[in-house]
Amino acid sequence: MKSINLKKNQFIQFHQKISFKFDGVKYFGYKGDTIASALLRNNINLVGRSFKYHRPRGIYTCGIEEPNALVQIISEYSEPNTRATIKKIYEGMEIESQNRWPSLENDFGSINNLFSPIFTAGFYYKTFMGPHKKFWKNLYEPLIRRAAGLGKPPKDFKGISNHIHHNVDITIIGGGLNGLLAAKSFINSNYDVLLIDFEEQLGGIINNSNKLSSIDNKEPKDWLKETIQEIEDSKNIKILKNTLVTTYNYINHLIAIEDRFVGSKPIEGKVNSTLHKIRTGHTILCNGHIERFLSFQNNDLPGIMLSSSFEKYMCRYGLAPSKEPVIFSNNSNSNSLVYGLIKAGLKPKAYIDSRSGEEIEPNLFDLIRKNDVPLYTNSQIKGAFGNKKIEKILVEDSSGALNEIKCDCLCLSGGINPDVHLFTQSKGLLDWDEKDLTYKPSKPFQPTITLGSASGQFNFDNLNSDINEKLKTFKVKKLDVKLELNTNTKYNIEKLWEVSPQKKSLWAKSFIDLQNDVTTKDIRQAITEGFDRIEHLKRYTTNSMGTDQGKISSINALGIVSDLLDKKVNEVGTTIYRPPYAPLSFSAIAGRNCYEFYDPERKSPIHSWHIKNGAIFEDVGQWKRPWYFQINKDESMHDAVQRESKNVRENAGILDGSTLGKIEIKGEDALEFMNLIYTNSFTKMKQGSARYALMLGEDGMVKDDGIICKISDQHFIATTTTGGAATVLGCMEEYAQTEWPNLKVFMNSITEQYATFNISGPKTREIMKKAFPNINFSNEEFPFMTFQFHEFNGIPIRILRASFTGELGYEIYIPSNSAPKIWDNIQSVGKEFGLAPYGTEAMHLLRAEKGYIIVGQDTDGSITPIDLGLSWMIGKSKKDFLGKRSLARPDTIREDRKQLVGIIPSNKADKLEEGQHIILDKEIKSPVPMLGHITSCYYSSTLGHDFALAIIKNGRSMIGTKAYASTSSMGTTGVDIVKPVFYDENNKRLVS
Amino acid sequence: MLIINCPYCGPRDQSEFSNGGEAHVKRPDGSKEIGDREWGEYVFIRANPKGLFYERWVHTHGCRKWFNCVRDTSTDEILVTYKLDEKKPNLNNFKSVVKTPSGEPEVGSGNFTVEK
Ligand SMILES: [Zn+2]
Repeated sequence: MKSINLKKNQFIQFHQKISFKFDGVKYFGYKGDTIASALLRNNINLVGRSFKYHRPRGIYTCGIEEPNALVQIISEYSEPNTRATIKKIYEGMEIESQNRWPSLENDFGSINNLFSPIFTAGFYYKTFMGPHKKFWKNLYEPLIRRAAGLGKPPKDFKGISNHIHHNVDITIIGGGLNGLLAAKSFINSNYDVLLIDFEEQLGGIINNSNKLSSIDNKEPKDWLKETIQEIEDSKNIKILKNTLVTTYNYINHLIAIEDRFVGSKPIEGKVNSTLHKIRTGHTILCNGHIERFLSFQNNDLPGIMLSSSFEKYMCRYGLAPSKEPVIFSNNSNSNSLVYGLIKAGLKPKAYIDSRSGEEIEPNLFDLIRKNDVPLYTNSQIKGAFGNKKIEKILVEDSSGALNEIKCDCLCLSGGINPDVHLFTQSKGLLDWDEKDLTYKPSKPFQPTITLGSASGQFNFDNLNSDINEKLKTFKVKKLDVKLELNTNTKYNIEKLWEVSPQKKSLWAKSFIDLQNDVTTKDIRQAITEGFDRIEHLKRYTTNSMGTDQGKISSINALGIVSDLLDKKVNEVGTTIYRPPYAPLSFSAIAGRNCYEFYDPERKSPIHSWHIKNGAIFEDVGQWKRPWYFQINKDESMHDAVQRESKNVRENAGILDGSTLGKIEIKGEDALEFMNLIYTNSFTKMKQGSARYALMLGEDGMVKDDGIICKISDQHFIATTTTGGAATVLGCMEEYAQTEWPNLKVFMNSITEQYATFNISGPKTREIMKKAFPNINFSNEEFPFMTFQFHEFNGIPIRILRASFTGELGYEIYIPSNSAPKIWDNIQSVGKEFGLAPYGTEAMHLLRAEKGYIIVGQDTDGSITPIDLGLSWMIGKSKKDFLGKRSLARPDTIREDRKQLVGIIPSNKADKLEEGQHIILDKEIKSPVPMLGHITSCYYSSTLGHDFALAIIKNGRSMIGTKAYASTSSMGTTGVDIVKPVFYDENNKRLVS
Repeated sequence: MLIINCPYCGPRDQSEFSNGGEAHVKRPDGSKEIGDREWGEYVFIRANPKGLFYERWVHTHGCRKWFNCVRDTSTDEILVTYKLDEKKPNLNNFKSVVKTPSGEPEVGSGNFTVEK
């Protein structure tokens, strides 16, 4: 294909040369060129290999609908699947073709074309589901993984995008003739208007075609300039260019993506793209139409292009891809191309029309006759032929005779469709137009207005009345625009979807979906196999499932199917167009919510001390908690955890428990409310005392636990698990509002207001005495499970005597801002007693030795307090509390429910593992009855061996018996089932 | 994304709210005898109609108030929101909702794209 520059063009700066590389070779284009227009200027038309058969493919269109010319932009982190027909070139741009190896010219994968008879419809389903699954694993998968697919994933991607929200009255999508006229009506009105266009220049068909000769007696481009100026000057209208609306959600919520670096290389660290989130009162769709292609043998050869695209290259890019293209059409939309070619001093090699001479417009007839263009009416192209490019076509003329025409370019037009994707995304309904042979918007579901060809108005004669009628709900001026056309015709089309090939052959291909390599034969086969519903057929053949969503071909497929089934197209229906309209990069969706902003980190007030003292952190929800502290770089986690836990048992340890959830509950009816929320009864509890409490779901299962401090009947402070804080507060608020609105009670999260230090170990009392000399820590003055308020150096503190390790322990609650000071003080006075910090892992080990559960680790939402052996915590005399009635359901009182037990290896040297199944027989004979599994497991240096907590069926009655713990990785280990407490069973140390 | 009209704050984006399932499900009175079936139905059974549905929402990232609404589950249209202590609206009042034999509205369900 030999192209020619048409030197008169307002959009291309012919004085500004730009160099770029395609597959390593340097070429030149001009400022304003897309990759496609620049390649065509260099007479390159082979730009990629097809998805399945690796057939050579060229540039088929001049816009967003492009199915073939997808390239990888090496100079932008190797961005794949970029449409060459949209992306503008810039100096130094590096582009690579996709899906070929070792090179585009000599592609090894094109051997697939020879095997093509096996890659038919349903190929993937048949190989996945068929009887020969081994073939899939050993042969097809490795082969297909290398051969199929589009581009390669980007490398070291660093794109940044931001999000902007808009709230407007009216959004106009598409800045073509109708979009501009709609915007013009709103100039200086009281409406907030957003006008969005995908291109750099507003104008649509005014820029892209030869259709219009004058608007309001002016040259179209002069009218355009004036109108854009008026719209720009209007304060209530905002224009977004280079912005594509991809999504039309419920309640007029639109998503649009703006490219911030059109025609230049994105700068690292700068915002590359902006995602606009738009909420609008009304949406006016003026997004025009898309031309469709036609199916015949080898309709995918490079050199074949849509006729409106050829015209757009001429008008918009000052480039005729060929000096003498052949035109094949079944409708009047390509008339303006004939007009444009002749105006530019070029001449079609031939004009072939499936319509009869009487149907063809007289003015087109005159034009063709006057310029001696060979004319074939009532004729069809039977096939295109050539080696990696079109060289000749076979035309069957009205007499049935075959004519061979040599050519380097073929322009196709199969008719036009309103671009209904956004309209159907909005859940509007379509209706088939039997005269224009296309689906058109009919009933909108939302406040959606369609104008111009987007609404199916393919002629210009009703332009004014249509816009005025549809915009009459708004207080705007009426339009009266005079249009004159170059090709004065009414849209006319004859039904033609597919031309059957000249010779029947297994290898002859008429494509219906170029991107996914679906042929018309695949459609026939799918219907023969019973996939005659359009949604099934789509998935079975993968028709219109590519990144282009079959924009130029999906209607043709419906036409073919309706003919095969002998049904009306309306009965066949259409598949649902889903967002996004065109591929949307994940980085644009992520916006600034990535890297350090992906998920906020929560840190305790002591965090910087932990870092200085060798803490290795663990994520607990969003919190960073010290997991263990390394005293030197060589200390292993195991050694650190054993050292820390041993130190708690022998001396004293301190844990930063600031992440625990804390909720303050106040009000006249606080006592009654707490009695309803938790299983325990708080009525007889003394002021200043504390209680370990359980919270259940209405299903009776343990949801959370914590310690409740009773300040008075009107004032409580509850702690929750670190991960459960928000849920527990939410649950309290819900019941206070929905079930017991009569109770006067209020609750508030105070998690971040207070830091919490847990000090425990036999030497704790000495340390506390020294740290807080004015407080009496004796057993009589400060018994277990009581708390006191004090002031220390002017800082109000609350000390609770409680323990999660089984040792003598205190929890100190301090306002967060003062916490580091007191932490430092405790560290320095504790030194002489061997006080050392410990992390969450040692804490878990210590609590497990005592048999204290962790909600969410030893429970899983199917465990009741009875299952845990915690029946003593249930306030049985209470009339009601969350989940109470469920504890008496037949299922929850079953004897053989899973229950909490302890597990130790029968041979003390054996190891256990969390998640191991507990089974009864050493021999594994499937099916193995599953009794339950190990929920927590640690090595204890205090005990000198591994130990575990487990939930197993009927577990309490099995205490004292033997069983086996099993995983495939560790084999089967003999274990003893014991009580779930391994240390200080009588709590002597706790109350010492 | 829906816009939900919080009865306390006014219309806000859906992302500020959490859904709480079916509304007007009465929790049995714990001080009285409750049968297994009655309690089981309260805990586990909820309606899941195609069409109009009484539903609970909470303005989690706002005023944290619970409230009720009527939503058409086939189109996602929220017809009314009201406070917990307000009477539940009669569904027959919503004349704008077209009821077809299948419960499928004429337009807006997204289950088909072509006019029947
Ligand atoms: Zn609110």
